[in-house]
Amino acid sequence: MVQAQGFETDFWKDANLRKGWDDIVPGEPRKTLPYTLTQQAIALYCKAVGETNPLYLDEKAAKAGPHGGLVAPPSIHILLMFSCTPADDWMRSPGTINAGQSWSYNIHARPGDTIRLEARALDKFIKRQRLFVVHDNVFFNQHDQVICSGRGQTIRPA
Amino acid sequence: MNNDFDRLSDGDTIDGPSFAVSRESIRLFCDASLDYNPLHLDDDYMKSDFGRTNFGGIIMHGMNSFGLISRMITDWIPPGAVHRRLETRWVKPVRPGDTIRPAGTIKARQTMQKSRWVLLDVVVRNQKDEPVAVGEAMVEFPS
Repeated sequence: MVQAQGFETDFWKDANLRKGWDDIVPGEPRKTLPYTLTQQAIALYCKAVGETNPLYLDEKAAKAGPHGGLVAPPSIHILLMFSCTPADDWMRSPGTINAGQSWSYNIHARPGDTIRLEARALDKFIKRQRLFVVHDNVFFNQHDQVICSGRGQTIRPA
Repeated sequence: MNNDFDRLSDGDTIDGPSFAVSRESIRLFCDASLDYNPLHLDDDYMKSDFGRTNFGGIIMHGMNSFGLISRMITDWIPPGAVHRRLETRWVKPVRPGDTIRPAGTIKARQTMQKSRWVLLDVVVRNQKDEPVAVGEAMVEFPS
C-alpha cells in the first residue's frame, strides 16, 4: 500500500474524538495541515483515475508544454482534501457520505508545492431525517496563490 | 467532437473513458486519495443501515466519478482552454463489477468581454445506462 508518510489509514482510530453533527459550528475554521505535493502522489492519483496525460507524468514533455513543467490534474484536490486534514477532523468520520461537490479551478498545483487549506463548515441542516453539513475549502500554494476552491455537502453519521 | 469554440453547437456531445470498477480499483483510489472511509473498504460495516439506506456492500468513492469527468474534460479541451469548474451530485451508488463512463453535452456558450465560456451538462452512467452522477462543468476558451 502506498500512502502519505504518517497518514493514519484507520478511520476508526480516535473516531470518538471527532465532532459529531451536534458539535459542528458553521463558520468555525477547521484545523488543517500543510502538505507537500510529490510527483509520486500525483502519479498514484493519475493511475487511480486512468490519467495518462504527459503534462502530469512525463517531465520532458511537460517542460515543453504550456506550463513549463509538470503539473497536477485539476481534480488533485481529491487527494489534497484528506492530506491536509488532521486525524481528528470530522471529515474523516466513518460513515461520512459525500452528497455532492462543486469546485472552481484557478491554477494548477505542481509537484513540490507546499499546499495550505483554509476550510470550515459553512452550514448544517436536517433534511428527510438526514444530517447534512456544507463545507467550503480553498487550497493555496506556497506563494499564497489560490489553486482551487470548492464546496461540498456531506451526510453525517447519526 | 470538435473543440473549436466557433464551431461548437449546443447539443454537441463528448464521451469519456470507460472505467471498470473493482475492489482493486476502489482500494487504489483509497491509496491515491487518502480517503479510507470504511464505506469503501469494510464489507461487514456496509451490512449496517445508513438511515433508510442499506448499500449491501462496499461502494466506490463518488469522487472517483468526479475525477473521471474531469479527465474527460481535460482530454477534450484544446490548448489554451482551461477546465474552470465542475459540480456533481451522486444519484446512485457504484459497486465492484460495475462499468461506468462519463459523458458531456454542451448546453450553452457565452462570450464575455474578456473570455469565452462553454457550459456542459455532465453525467456518469453505469453499464445499465443508469445515471450514477450528474452535474455541470464550465470551460474557459481563449478569446
